Amino acid sequence: MSIVNLLRAASLSALFITGGAYAQTVGPQGETATPTADISVPDDKVEGLKAGGHRAALLWHDQSDFVNAVTAGASDEFARLGIEVVATTSAGFDAAKQRSDIETAMAKKPDIILSLPLDPVTSAAAFEEAKAQGVKLVFLSNLPKDYKHGSDYAAIVTDDLFQMGKQAADALAKAMGSKGTVGWVYHDADYYVTNQRDNAFKSTIENDYPEMKIVAEQGISDPARAEEIANAMLLKNPDIGGIFVTWAGPAEGVLAALRANGNKTTKVVTLDLSEPVALDMVRGGNVTAIVADEAYELGRAMAATGALALIGEETPPFIVAPAVTATADNVSEAWHQSLHVDAPKSVMQAGK
Amino acid sequence: MFKRTSAIARKFDLQGSVIYLGFIAIFLFFAITLADDGFLTTRNLSNIVLQTAPATIMAIGLVFVLSAGEIDLSFGSIVAVSALAAAVVMQEHSMLFGILAGLGAGLAIGWINGVMVAYLRLPSFLVTLATMGLFAGVARSMTDLRSIPVLSDTFTGFFGSGSFFGIPSLVLWTLAAVIVGHLVYRESRFGAHVIATGDNARAAQVSGIKVPRLRLAVLMISGGCAGLAGLLYAGRLQAAKYTLGESDLMTVIAAVIVGGTALNGGKGSVIGALVGSLLMGMLNNGLILMGLSVSDQMIVRGLIILLAVAISLRDTTRA
Repeated sequence: MSIVNLLRAASLSALFITGGAYAQTVGPQGETATPTADISVPDDKVEGLKAGGHRAALLWHDQSDFVNAVTAGASDEFARLGIEVVATTSAGFDAAKQRSDIETAMAKKPDIILSLPLDPVTSAAAFEEAKAQGVKLVFLSNLPKDYKHGSDYAAIVTDDLFQMGKQAADALAKAMGSKGTVGWVYHDADYYVTNQRDNAFKSTIENDYPEMKIVAEQGISDPARAEEIANAMLLKNPDIGGIFVTWAGPAEGVLAALRANGNKTTKVVTLDLSEPVALDMVRGGNVTAIVADEAYELGRAMAATGALALIGEETPPFIVAPAVTATADNVSEAWHQSLHVDAPKSVMQAGK
Repeated sequence: MFKRTSAIARKFDLQGSVIYLGFIAIFLFFAITLADDGFLTTRNLSNIVLQTAPATIMAIGLVFVLSAGEIDLSFGSIVAVSALAAAVVMQEHSMLFGILAGLGAGLAIGWINGVMVAYLRLPSFLVTLATMGLFAGVARSMTDLRSIPVLSDTFTGFFGSGSFFGIPSLVLWTLAAVIVGHLVYRESRFGAHVIATGDNARAAQVSGIKVPRLRLAVLMISGGCAGLAGLLYAGRLQAAKYTLGESDLMTVIAAVIVGGTALNGGKGSVIGALVGSLLMGMLNNGLILMGLSVSDQMIVRGLIILLAVAISLRDTTRA
C-alpha cells in the first residue's frame, strides 16, 4: 500500500491522543476501542432489514487497494442485509469534490453513508445536510469537527494502530531471539496513522524486550530517500540486528540498501502489504514479517454499524479492526485476511 | 476566397453547436435512465449548478486567456491561495477585508503571470506551469497544511450557501459572471482585441492594439476569476484548504475546449464555457447516480469528453 493510504487519517492528530502514553488505540475523546469482532447484526434482525428496502452510499476519499478491500467488505455485508449500495464515489483527496459527492449521493436518499471525512473542518459543513436528514453516518478514521456520537454519527471505525506497531515489534523480536540492536525508521510527519503505529513499535521494544536496544532513529518524510537513509544507518551501525520501517514504500528502499551492502543478516519488519516486500520475505530475504490491517473486516464492521444504527441499536463510538502479521509461512492467508484478494502470483509462486 | 471564408464560418457554427447538442443529448439520456433515481429533481439539478459554479467562473477567465493565444495553468493554485488568504484575514478582520484579500491575491498572481508573459516575453505555458507549482507551495506553507474555518455567516451566505429572493447565491454569481464575461467578450472593444490578438498577434499590434497590455489584462482576468472561485469554495465549504482548486485544472480546460474555445487562440465562447462546465458537472452527477464504480465513472467520463473533443476537432480540420 502506498503513502496515500496512510494519509487517509491525515488530520487525526488533532483528534486523537497519539501513542506511547497509551498501550492501546484510543478514540477522539479517549474512548476505549471496541474490536470489530464485537460488531454484528443479530440474525433475528436481518429479515427486518431486508424488508426495509434500505440504501447505502460509500463516499470515499480516494481509490486504493485499501479502499477496494473496505468497499468489498462493506458491500458484502450490505448485500447480506439486503441493503442496496446506490452510490460509490472517490473524492481524490479533494474536499470540495467530497462535498459535491455527498450532495449528489443524497439525491438517491441513502439511509446509511460510509465515508472518510477528508478534513474535520471542511467536512463538518459537508455532512450537515446528511446529518440533518437523519442519515446514519459511519466514519472511517476521521471525524467532522464538533460532531457528537449518537445524535450526529453512529461510529468511527479505524485500524488498531497500536496493535499494528506492537505486532511488528513482536515479530522482529521473535526473528532476533529477543535480543540485539534495532534501527527505527519512522515517518517524520504529523500523521496520526503512522505516528501511532511507529510509536507503538518503539514503546513495545522498549518496554517488553529488555535485551533489545534501539540504537538508531531516523525520520523519513520522502519515501524516495529511504535508500540513502538506510545506507547512512548501516554505515554507522554495520552490525545492526533489525530495522523497523514505517511502511512498505520506504521499506523497498531500505531493502535496496541492504542488498547493495551485501547484508543478508539484518532483519526487516514493516507495515502494509506490498508485492516487492512480500516477495523478499518469501524468498528468504531480509524481511521477516509484514503487519497489515484487516481492511475487508473494517468495511464489514462499518456496514454492520450503519445497519445497527438504522434499526435503533446502540453502537459503540470507536471501533477498531484487527491487525494481521504476515510471514513467509502464512503470507497467502494473511493477504486474503487483510485485503480479501489472493496474494500476487509472484509471491505465491516464490513461496512454493 | 469569400466562399471559403463563409464555409469556415458555417463550420464554426456547426462546431459551436456540438456542445449544446451534446449537452441536450446527455441530459436526455440521464433524464430517461435516471428518472427514478432523483436526477430530475429540482434539488439535484440545482446541485449540479451549485457544484460547478467555481469551475464555471474559472472557465470564463480561461476563455479570455486562451482566446488571446495564451494559457493559464496556475488558476487552480490561485484558487487555494485566494481562499486561504480570505479565510486567514477574516480570522482577525472583517468580511470586507477577507474578500479584498482573496480577490487581491488572485489579481496579484495574475499580474505576476501577466508581467512575465507580456513584458519579459516568456511563454505563458512555462510561466504559469512554474507559478502553478510555486503558488501550490505557497498555499501549503501559508497555514502549514491546516484548514482554516470561515465562521462569518454573512460571508458563507453571500458566497456559498445563501440565497437572494430564493435563488442560491452561487447561481447568481455564476449568472453575473457569465453575463459580464459574455458582454465583455462579445460586445466590447476589449473583447474584440482579445480575439484579434489571439488570431494574429502581429497583425493586432500593427493595427494599434497594445498587445502586451492586453496579455497582462487577460492573465489578470484569469487570476481575478480564480480568486472569486476561491471565495466561492471557501463560502461553500465554510473553510479554506490548500487542496481547493487543485483538481479543477483539467476539468476547466476540458470544459472550455469542449465549449468551443480554441486552444491556440482567436476564438472562444463564454456561453460555451458555461455549458461545457455544466456538462462536466452533469457527467459527474449522472454517473454517480447510475451507481457505477469509481473506476467506471472515470472511464465513461473520459470517453464522453474524448467523443465531444473529437467531434469539435474533426469539424475544425475539415474546415
